Amino acid sequence: MEKEFEPKIVAFCCNWCSYLAADSAGMARNQYPSNVHIIRCMCSGMVHPNFVIDALTKGLADGVMVCGCHPGDCHYQDGNKRAESRSEAIFLMLEDFGLEQERFRLEWISASEGQKFAGVSGEMTQTLKELGPNFYKS
Amino acid sequence: MPVKVVEEWLNSCSGCEISILNLGDTLLDLLPELNFVHIPVLIDHKYYGQTGESDVIEIPEADIGIVSGGVRNEEHKHVLEETRKKTKILIALGSCAAHGGIPAQANMYTNKDIFEKLFRGSPSTDPASDPNHPNVPQWLDSCLALDEVVEVDVTIPGCPPHPDWIAEALTALLEGKTSWSLPERSVCDTCPVIREKKSAAGPVRRCFENLEFNPEEGLDKMRCINEQGFLCLGPVTLAGCAGKEGVPRCIQARTPCRGCFGPIRKGARPMVDMMGAMSSVGLDPKTVVDRRAIMNRYIGGHGNLRPLPARPARK
Amino acid sequence: MGKIVNIQPVTRIEGHAKVAIHLDDAGNVADTRLHIQTLRGFEKFVEGRPVEEMPRIVCHICGICPWSHHLASSKAGDACFGVTPPPAAVKLRRLMQMIAYVGDKLLHFYFLAAPDFVIGPDADYAVRNVIGIVNAAPNIAKQVVHYRQLTAQILENFAGRAIHPTFSIPGGVSKPMTEAERVEMLAHALELLDFSMFTIKFAKENVFAKYIDAIKTLGVIKVGHLGLVTDDGALDFYDGKLRLMQPDGSHEDFADDEYLDHIGEHVEPWSYQKFPYAKKWGDGPAMDLDNPVGVYRTNCLARINVCDKMATPLAQAELEEFRAEFGRPTHLTLLYHYARLIELVQCAEQTVELLEDPEITSSDVRKKIEPRSGRGVGCVEAPRGTLIHDYQSDDEGLITQANLIVGTTHNNAAMNLSVKQAATELIKDGTYDQAILNKVEMAIRAYDP
Repeated sequence: MEKEFEPKIVAFCCNWCSYLAADSAGMARNQYPSNVHIIRCMCSGMVHPNFVIDALTKGLADGVMVCGCHPGDCHYQDGNKRAESRSEAIFLMLEDFGLEQERFRLEWISASEGQKFAGVSGEMTQTLKELGPNFYKS
Repeated sequence: MPVKVVEEWLNSCSGCEISILNLGDTLLDLLPELNFVHIPVLIDHKYYGQTGESDVIEIPEADIGIVSGGVRNEEHKHVLEETRKKTKILIALGSCAAHGGIPAQANMYTNKDIFEKLFRGSPSTDPASDPNHPNVPQWLDSCLALDEVVEVDVTIPGCPPHPDWIAEALTALLEGKTSWSLPERSVCDTCPVIREKKSAAGPVRRCFENLEFNPEEGLDKMRCINEQGFLCLGPVTLAGCAGKEGVPRCIQARTPCRGCFGPIRKGARPMVDMMGAMSSVGLDPKTVVDRRAIMNRYIGGHGNLRPLPARPARK
Repeated sequence: MGKIVNIQPVTRIEGHAKVAIHLDDAGNVADTRLHIQTLRGFEKFVEGRPVEEMPRIVCHICGICPWSHHLASSKAGDACFGVTPPPAAVKLRRLMQMIAYVGDKLLHFYFLAAPDFVIGPDADYAVRNVIGIVNAAPNIAKQVVHYRQLTAQILENFAGRAIHPTFSIPGGVSKPMTEAERVEMLAHALELLDFSMFTIKFAKENVFAKYIDAIKTLGVIKVGHLGLVTDDGALDFYDGKLRLMQPDGSHEDFADDEYLDHIGEHVEPWSYQKFPYAKKWGDGPAMDLDNPVGVYRTNCLARINVCDKMATPLAQAELEEFRAEFGRPTHLTLLYHYARLIELVQCAEQTVELLEDPEITSSDVRKKIEPRSGRGVGCVEAPRGTLIHDYQSDDEGLITQANLIVGTTHNNAAMNLSVKQAATELIKDGTYDQAILNKVEMAIRAYDP
C-alpha cells in the first residue's frame, strides 16, 4: 500500500511573536502537525526571499511559511512590512519557477495566538497534501 | 620565466577570445610573459597527439588555465576536468563560464524539446532523428557554469569580459597572487544618468521606441532608463562592462542593461533585488514581459532556469 | 580493416570540430568526415522572447561576427513588425557592419590563416601561429594588432559595444550619429582603407603568388555558390536578392523570404551541423567527390563568384585582376583567402563612402513599432556566408517560431568535400604526418568556419 504523502513545511518564525506562539501552542496542547519544521529568526523581515526560493527549488521543502508580528507590532518597527513587500517578489518567483502559489504563505501571528499557529499549520499541511509533492524534490 | 597558459573554449561563441585580442597593444606587452602551450583558436596543439595517435586526451601542464564557455556536453566536461587537473589556477572567463550565459537560456527547455524543434520542427530541415554518433558528444541535462563541475579559482565575468579586467587579472596572477575579483558594485554605481527616484507610473515599457535623450549631450544629461519606464537591469548587475573607466556599454549605446556581468554578489538573485529597485521608482515588476527569461538572461546556470513542471501552475 | 586518423580539435577555426579520415587496408583514404561537435539550440530557446530583444540575444551565436546576426535579426524584426527603418538608420547599420567586417577580415587573414603561409604549412605547430608571426614579422604584427583593435575601438566608442552589440533594433537604431563623431570616425576609416590596401598588396606578393601550386590543388571541388547581390548585380553585405549559382556559372536569383523554395537542410547522424543543399538541383544532397549533388558554398569566394561586380572602385579593380587570372566562377578553395581580401577593400571603401554621406548624421533613426503577429525574414552576408533569420511572432510581438541558417552551415557539405579531396590527394599508402594533416585542415580554414 502506498504511504500517504506527508509534506514537509519550513516555517520561519519571528522570535518575538510566532516562535512564542508555536511554543504556547505546544504548552496549551494545541496540536499542530509534525510536518512543520520551525526555524527561529529575529524578524520576519530578515528572511531573504532566496531562503524561501532555495528551500523550494532545491527540493528541501514542499511549502514555506514566514510568520511575523501583526502590522504595527514589529519589534524593529517595520520588519514585517519589509517581509510583506518581499513576499511579492516571492510570489513572482514561484510563478517563474513553475511552483504553485500555495506553496508559500505569509502569516501574522502574535505571541498569544498559539491556536492560530496550529490552525495555519494544519491548513497548510492539508493544502500541500492536496497539491502533492514539490516538483523539485524529484 | 614566462608562465605557461592553457586556453580552452567550451559552449561558447569565441567573443571572450576576441576580447583577449582586444587587449591590443597591452597584449603585445603581456605576450613575452605568457607562454601559450594550448589554445585551439590560435595554436595547433591537438588533444590526442599531433597525428591523433594517442587514446588519452593530453592537455599540457600549465600555471594558468583560462576557460570560456559553459559546459553543455560530455566532451566539454571531459576537457574541463582535464584542464582543471593540469593547471594550478583556473580562470572562468566570461559569463557563460561564470553563470551559464546566453546558451543557458536553453535550460528553460528539456533536451527532448530542443532536439525535437531543431531536427524535426524546422521549416527548412528534412525531418530526421537526432544526431547520434561517437563523434558528436552527448548533451548533459542542462548547460552548466564551470563551478558546477570543477573548482574555479578566478572568475572574470562579462559578455564579453572587458579587456581591462583580463589584463588586470592576468597581471595579478603573474605577480604571484592567487586570486582576483571585480569590486562588488552595481552598474548604476558607474552610470552617470540623472536619477529623480520616481518614474511615470504604468506598465513597464518595451523597447518599441528609443529612449528620450539629446544625442548632442552626454549621458549625464539623460534620465535614468528605469525612470523613463523601461526595464534596465543596472541596479542588480555587477559593474565593469566598460572597463576601469568609461560608462556602462549598453547605456553608452542608449539601450538598457540586460545584466551581462551577472549578479553583484555570488548567489544573489537579480529577480529579487530588482523587485526592490523597481518598486522604489514606482515600476510594477508584474508587467515585465517575458520576465523569467529577461531577468536570467545571462545567468541560466546554477539552477536559475529550468524547464517548468509539465502540469500547469495553479492560479 | 584499415584505420581512422583523427584530427581533434580542428584548430584556428571558430568552433569545435573533428576530422576523421578513414584509411583502407592499403592506407589510402576510403572516406572522411568533418564532425561538428557543438550545438546550442538557439532556435528553440528564443521562442517566447520579445522580437525587439532578438537582435541582442542572437548576436551571441557568434562572438567573431556578432554584427551579422545582430543585423539579420534586426531586419527580420523590421519585417515582423512591418516597419521600414529611416534611411539614416540603414546607413548606420551598414556602417557598423562594414567596420566590424574590416576587423574580422584582418583577424582571419593574419591571425588564423597567415601562419600556414607566412610561417609555412609544414612548420612545427609551436611556431606555426600568430605568436610565431609576431616574432617573425614584428612590425607587421604590431600594425595588425593595432588596426584590428582600432575597428573594435571605433565600434565601442560609438555603438557602446563591439562584441555583442545592442545598437540596432527593429525599426532602426538606438541613437543617431553626431557630426563630431562622424569627423573623428572618418579619419580612422581612411587609415583602415590604407591598411586594407597594404594587406591585399602584401598578400598578393607574399602569399598567393608563392603558393599558387597549392591553391590550384588543395581542397578544390566543383560545386555551386550562394550570395547576396544588389539589383544591378554588385556584391552587397546588407541587402539584396539571393543568387544561387550552379557549378557551371548559370544562376537563379530570388528574394530572401523565398529561401524555403530553394534551400533545404539535411541531417546526418554524425554531425550536429545540418547540411543545407539546393533543392532544385536534383535529389540532394550527395557529398560524392566526383559527382556532388545540391552542394553549394557561401562566404567570400562564393560572393566573389556570384556578383557581377564589386560595389566600389578599388575593390572592382582587384576583382578584375582576380578574374583575369582565375575566371568566373573559380572553384579553387584556397582562393577564399584572396576573395576575403578583395572584400576587405570593399568594406573599407564603403566605410569611407558612408561616412562621407551627409545623411548619415540625420537624427531620424528609429520608427516606432507596434506589436503584431507576422513573419519576417532577415538576410545579410556574414563574413562566413549568407545568414538567414526567419521569425514568426504573435499578437504581443513574441517569437513563436525561429529558423536560422548561418553562414558556416551552408558550407558544411562543401567543407566535407574539400576535406575528402585534400585527404585523398595527400595521404597515400598510409603515409601521413602532422604537416599533411595540417594541410587537410587548411582546406577547412579557407572557409573560415
